[in-house]
Amino acid sequence: MSRLLLFCCCLLIALPAWTAEIIFSSSTDNPAIQAFVNELKQRRPDDLIRFVALKDLPEPAQLPDTSRLVLLDRPSLDWRLADPAGPPTLALRISRLQANSLPAPLPAQLSLLWSDPSPQRQMRLARLLLPAAKRVGLLYDANSAFLLDEYRQAARAQGMTLVTRRWSDTRDGRPLLYLLAHSDLLLGMNNVELFNSHTVKNLLLTSYTHQRPVIGPSASFVQAGSLASIYSDQSDWLDSLEERLDQPPASWPQSGYPSHFKVTSNPQVARSLAIKLPSNESLAQKLAEGEHP
Amino acid sequence: MANTHSLASLIGVLSLLAPTLVVAEDLFEQGQALPEILSATRLKQSPAAVPGSVSVIDRALIDASGARDIPELMRLVPGMMVGYVKGNEMTVNYHGGQVGTARRMQVLIDGRSVYRPGLATVDWTDLPLAMEDIERIEVFRGPNTVSYGANALTGVISITTRNPANSHGTRLKYIHGQRGIDDWYGSQGFSSGNGDFRLSLSGQQDSGFDHTDEDERYRDSRRSTRMQLSATHALDASQVLDWQLSAKEGSNQKNFYSDEEALVKGIVPKGDSNKDINARDFSGSVRWSLDTSSTHNLQLQAYAQRWERTQEWRTCDLELSFTPEVAALQKLNPDLLDTVARLLRDGKQIPASAGPLAFTIGNNFYKNGGALQAPVCGDINNNINETRYDFELQDTLSLSDDLRLLSGLSYRKDSSDSQSYFQGSLNNEIWRLFGHLEWHLSEHFVLQGGAMHEDDTLSGSSLTSRIALNYLITPRHGLRFVYSEAVRSPDMQENNVDWTYRLENLSQPVNGRNSAYYYATAQGPGDLQQEIMRSREIGYNGQFDFGLQIDIKLFNDEIHQMIAEPLKIKEFSQNNDNYMWLRGAETEIDWTFTTSDRLRLTYAYVDYETSEKSYRRLTARYSGSAGWLHEWGGGWSSSLFYYGADLLNERRFERADLRIAKRFNLGKSDLELALMMQQRLDDEALTWRENLYDERRLVYVSAQLEF
Repeated sequence: MSRLLLFCCCLLIALPAWTAEIIFSSSTDNPAIQAFVNELKQRRPDDLIRFVALKDLPEPAQLPDTSRLVLLDRPSLDWRLADPAGPPTLALRISRLQANSLPAPLPAQLSLLWSDPSPQRQMRLARLLLPAAKRVGLLYDANSAFLLDEYRQAARAQGMTLVTRRWSDTRDGRPLLYLLAHSDLLLGMNNVELFNSHTVKNLLLTSYTHQRPVIGPSASFVQAGSLASIYSDQSDWLDSLEERLDQPPASWPQSGYPSHFKVTSNPQVARSLAIKLPSNESLAQKLAEGEHP
Repeated sequence: MANTHSLASLIGVLSLLAPTLVVAEDLFEQGQALPEILSATRLKQSPAAVPGSVSVIDRALIDASGARDIPELMRLVPGMMVGYVKGNEMTVNYHGGQVGTARRMQVLIDGRSVYRPGLATVDWTDLPLAMEDIERIEVFRGPNTVSYGANALTGVISITTRNPANSHGTRLKYIHGQRGIDDWYGSQGFSSGNGDFRLSLSGQQDSGFDHTDEDERYRDSRRSTRMQLSATHALDASQVLDWQLSAKEGSNQKNFYSDEEALVKGIVPKGDSNKDINARDFSGSVRWSLDTSSTHNLQLQAYAQRWERTQEWRTCDLELSFTPEVAALQKLNPDLLDTVARLLRDGKQIPASAGPLAFTIGNNFYKNGGALQAPVCGDINNNINETRYDFELQDTLSLSDDLRLLSGLSYRKDSSDSQSYFQGSLNNEIWRLFGHLEWHLSEHFVLQGGAMHEDDTLSGSSLTSRIALNYLITPRHGLRFVYSEAVRSPDMQENNVDWTYRLENLSQPVNGRNSAYYYATAQGPGDLQQEIMRSREIGYNGQFDFGLQIDIKLFNDEIHQMIAEPLKIKEFSQNNDNYMWLRGAETEIDWTFTTSDRLRLTYAYVDYETSEKSYRRLTARYSGSAGWLHEWGGGWSSSLFYYGADLLNERRFERADLRIAKRFNLGKSDLELALMMQQRLDDEALTWRENLYDERRLVYVSAQLEF
């Protein structure tokens, strides 16, 4: 019996991806989108892959059930949400914060792939780089407060305590000062209301003055002066997307983080903070190993 | 106008060289273009790679110490010797020196040098700065004229005030306690347009020491009112403009001293016991920083400061002291004049063998039935106004990830205006050119070195250099080997004083006039050379994963051509003939062993030798501090400190401080109530024998409201 089950599983995995129509859509078109679609075309020559601008798409229910929709922005997702029927759909480039305002319940055939780094991975990255850290500081606002429990659990899983401070007025640095005084590192939540080009300077300089490393929230923050962050680039997204496409839509989770990711870090900041920095590749590998023991 | 135009075009051109923006590379990065903030030009060396010893007093320590003055905080820095001339006059020396003056250390507030141009001292009591406005204090322990100019001979105390962007809202504080302690503070932070601002107003008051060793009331109270307006403007992603205005007004009581008595004691009444100093300090500074790229930063800083000291009193002396013979003998042989005065006090005659001047003075004393023994009183002053203008251009260039060059140019004009000290005004202009290179030779070695050329109108030019090699065992553990040479230019008082007191509004005319010169005068030699210091240091700095940071320093310093004679009008003979030699070890341990416990220990052993005996006094051979900061939960916190020095100016010093605080959260505001207790553990006076308190214990309380 178990042999039969094993055989079926192997068969399922080994099945060639059936020729399917994969429709990408977004309210805007640009070379980056085209490059992404073309790259997938090259990877999956047997599939019929095309980009259709949102304005040219019929109602979701009119699309064949055998097709797969891949949505690349919020307007296209809103269009899909307007109709409970429609083909299996993968929504990319949507963040946890954006998704929080989506109407519930979501259509059954919709799977969301979060654009922001996973709190668990960021927390584990923090642990790898700062083995002695005990308290991790997190700034949040009204829109991101719903994520606090998840971050708290992620911190606890790494043996750290989460210290939080609400940052309602980003011109007022006092919550930041409090956190720096009461934590060993700062974790940036991917929230553009808090972490943006206006706040980046005071955030990074003040943290640095207090000799507190910042983890996250994004790759561009790392180049600006954060210590490190996980991120997924185009090839990671293609890998993650292909994984989903290879699975039957019924097994798609309603939401999840991309399974493929990289680590970026700032060696100059690490040197100045006296932090021993392994290579980005080995950090990513350790994080991945932790997820698939 | 042409200059303004060319500066504007320069700024325009530089602005075009926009800083590197980190642009999102693909569809999936969040699409934010961010400037590189912690660029190679802003990052500093890690503690293990710093080319010297640095102590940091952070805000948590400042709060926990309960200190009301910066010198009290310096007890937390290994090797720092804190002395009290009076309750309102403190001195801070690194590894000691003279008790009355501290003129070998650079003190900066947000990059602005605050030691006085004319008298070269730092008036800690008169700084236009409230403790509540300090964010952190970094103390560079060791010579660093390469980076900070010619007064950074033994060390640099660099005070950074709170960033206006991080001090929004209102903060009110009141401190009240024994010894007349009555301090208040209020600040308001806000933002407007592209700027963040903080306005602080504060006042400080206490009664100083209680009584002298002769059981007289001690007249050394102080009172001050201060203002500081601090602003920062983010002009664009690459430019920041900071500016600051501050002012202080206050009065420091000062008494009459025994050595300021009349020529022959016990005959004429003493003058005013009110020799109070009215002190007013003003400063304004502006700093413009431009990142032309992530590897290049330009910074232009300009500031102006003014110190105004008014000290006027009425003094009395015998009419005899205004005779030409007394002035002549004081100039020729002050010791003999002392002997003559003592003999006359005892009613004795001066023999002819003492010399014609002494003999005539003796005769004058007794002639006409002692008519010249009549008192003559007059108004006298120590008024002095000092001004400093400073411009500095600093360029930081990161040549590669492993090589950084810091260079700059500065111009300073110091002026001092005083009839008593300089018979008018005296100026000094200082040009400075400096460069410093940091080179990460490999993962384990960092080589850092620099040089400074300084040209000083009053004391000539000098070239100093400094080199350090750090061996990083790991990024968190490093050994350092440092050799530095540093100079100190003689200050205006030492080299150029023209010290004369003119008594005005005489109680009775002398030689038919209503004013007369005091018999003692002093002239600076004018040709003093710079002091030279050579310093060798081996150190270790380590950070351990269990929260322990440790720094150990072994040093061997020597100061040559030292100017060390006392600065007294009656015995003023400055020269470059002295030396000091210091050898020892010191350590600083900071251990956060739980999230609510922090332990801090410092210890210094200093072995010294000097040719000038007054320099032996303030150096304690053994000194140190121990502190334990604890959070009890529920808003309660405590800190316990011990400070000790075996012989500070020949007196033992041991004190335990306890601070207990409770924080209440009242909705949108925070209230903190604190009790501070200081207990002297010995029976000694503080620094000098007359510096005495009624009780060995001091208690004060504070309340702070933030919203």
